[in-house]
Amino acid sequence: MPGLVNEQAAIVANEKVGPGLHLMKLAAPQIAARIKPGQFVHMRLPAMNDHILRRPFSIYDCDRDAGMLEVLYQVVGFGTDHMTGLQVGESTEIIGPVGRGWEVPKDASRCLLVAGGVGAAPLFMLADELMATGRELDVILGAQTVDALVARERYEALLETPPRCSTDDGSFGFSGFCTPLVDQALNDAEGEGRPYDYLAVCGPEPLMKIVVAQAKDHGVFCELSMERRMACGIGACLSCVVDTVAGKKRSCIDGPVFSGQEVVWS
Amino acid sequence: MRVPRETSVSLSVNLGGLTMKNPVTVASGTFGAGREYSDFVSVASLGAVTTKGVSLHGWEGNASPRIAETPSGMLNSIGLQNPGVEALKAHELPWLAEQGALVIVNVSGHSFDEYVQVIEALEDAPVGAYEVNISCPNVDAGGMTMGCHRPSVETVVKRCREVTRRPLIVKLTPNVTDITEIAKAAEASGADAISLINTLLGMAIDAKRRRPLLARVVGGLSGPAVKPVALRMVWQCHQAVSIPILGMGGITNGTDAVEFMLAGATAVAVGTANFINPEASVEVIDGLIDYCEAQGVNDVNELIGALQWK
Repeated sequence: MPGLVNEQAAIVANEKVGPGLHLMKLAAPQIAARIKPGQFVHMRLPAMNDHILRRPFSIYDCDRDAGMLEVLYQVVGFGTDHMTGLQVGESTEIIGPVGRGWEVPKDASRCLLVAGGVGAAPLFMLADELMATGRELDVILGAQTVDALVARERYEALLETPPRCSTDDGSFGFSGFCTPLVDQALNDAEGEGRPYDYLAVCGPEPLMKIVVAQAKDHGVFCELSMERRMACGIGACLSCVVDTVAGKKRSCIDGPVFSGQEVVWS
Repeated sequence: MRVPRETSVSLSVNLGGLTMKNPVTVASGTFGAGREYSDFVSVASLGAVTTKGVSLHGWEGNASPRIAETPSGMLNSIGLQNPGVEALKAHELPWLAEQGALVIVNVSGHSFDEYVQVIEALEDAPVGAYEVNISCPNVDAGGMTMGCHRPSVETVVKRCREVTRRPLIVKLTPNVTDITEIAKAAEASGADAISLINTLLGMAIDAKRRRPLLARVVGGLSGPAVKPVALRMVWQCHQAVSIPILGMGGITNGTDAVEFMLAGATAVAVGTANFINPEASVEVIDGLIDYCEAQGVNDVNELIGALQWK
């Protein structure tokens, strides 16, 4: 298996797409050629010398032929704020493709993806792959407001049935958190006699904890993507560990995708 | 996979009986056992690979979050998570031997006996030297608690000395009043070399949440921020002891390495810089070569303690 590369990636676009949400396009042909859904890149930003660590970002979408990666990011601190000011033509350095991506069972025929906020990003390539391999796919997207539902149109264009959405403020779709929609989807599928056999979730940890429990209640195999502060991003430093039934595992290379049964919630 | 460039500069150094092909190793805990970095650098091309601290039966380490970024550096409170010495022997040391890497094993323990038992377990394994870790700030027993006072330093070094003829490097903590006192105690007790500095005890706070950034509240500071402290301590220890010094603390490029050697280090370790740039260890070697060639230095040993200050 080819290993990791540290690739100079020129910024070809970097624009605001929602409240505190930005989309960066990077020219990174080596990583774009073989990154899999759920894997991430570990990014070194230019002109940030006193903030020394790289930042991990999941890949939202990838154009293998054009050698392009897309990163949907939310401003959460100094690094991501600095990122918003980077100009087209500037260059980042990214290590990738890192980590264990989504591992959908080969025989899974009906799948449900659940995204909270910017968690919609690492699920999009998976949705694309599931559609391409002929699975029946439903998607639930939750966000704080309609403006923050930035991935909705892309999912709509991909899916046969549009994603079910919720907003915390009721400005679009179901009013409230997306977890009632998850219960409803699980029940509906059972009622139709064709229950889901795979569920993937990415979002804030409290959301993932609830959705994992919902999947378990319905006997549906489930995966989730964990986020941790990372230093090396390649498995050496043990900064990013997640508690699992088999002890502490590294979210960078043992994850970021884990199965729902594996993770022990704090 | 990067290797250092060709040069006619003689790069070999002798660190207390350990012959290194060049003076650059990696700091324990920043490089795993090398495997994780092998896509980026040739581990065999380094002066040595220093492995993550290992204890007898393995430790779980501390709760998360374990790291925080701070100005020009980072805090960590990993807590010496490791799978134990038998796992190191079974999986990592054979791989390193296969690569042709020279290995320094960082040895940790909760008690004097544990340090001794780890070394005893490693005596039949392909190991070049031991680095005795009496300086980790992130464990409740052993580590730094053992490295702050002369009597415990003397006991642990003497006990380790009794069970091995291999080079014994003692890794010192900067969190002491006078590091030269600890360095002298290590030397008098049979250490072949000392390595310094381990991380500086620090903390970081999220004011908005009124919470510490680390689950353990305090952790070890590393990265470029600590380099001036590390240089000062290497310089002080070089004057205080006659055994060689493995210098580290914020080394990011060849010039940093040269500065440590001028201050008195025989060899240097690249630590946090590996996280920033996975090729940092080889880049430091290349930068050291650049300096020597530009300055007409034929043998890197000429740099050791060559600081002009009187």
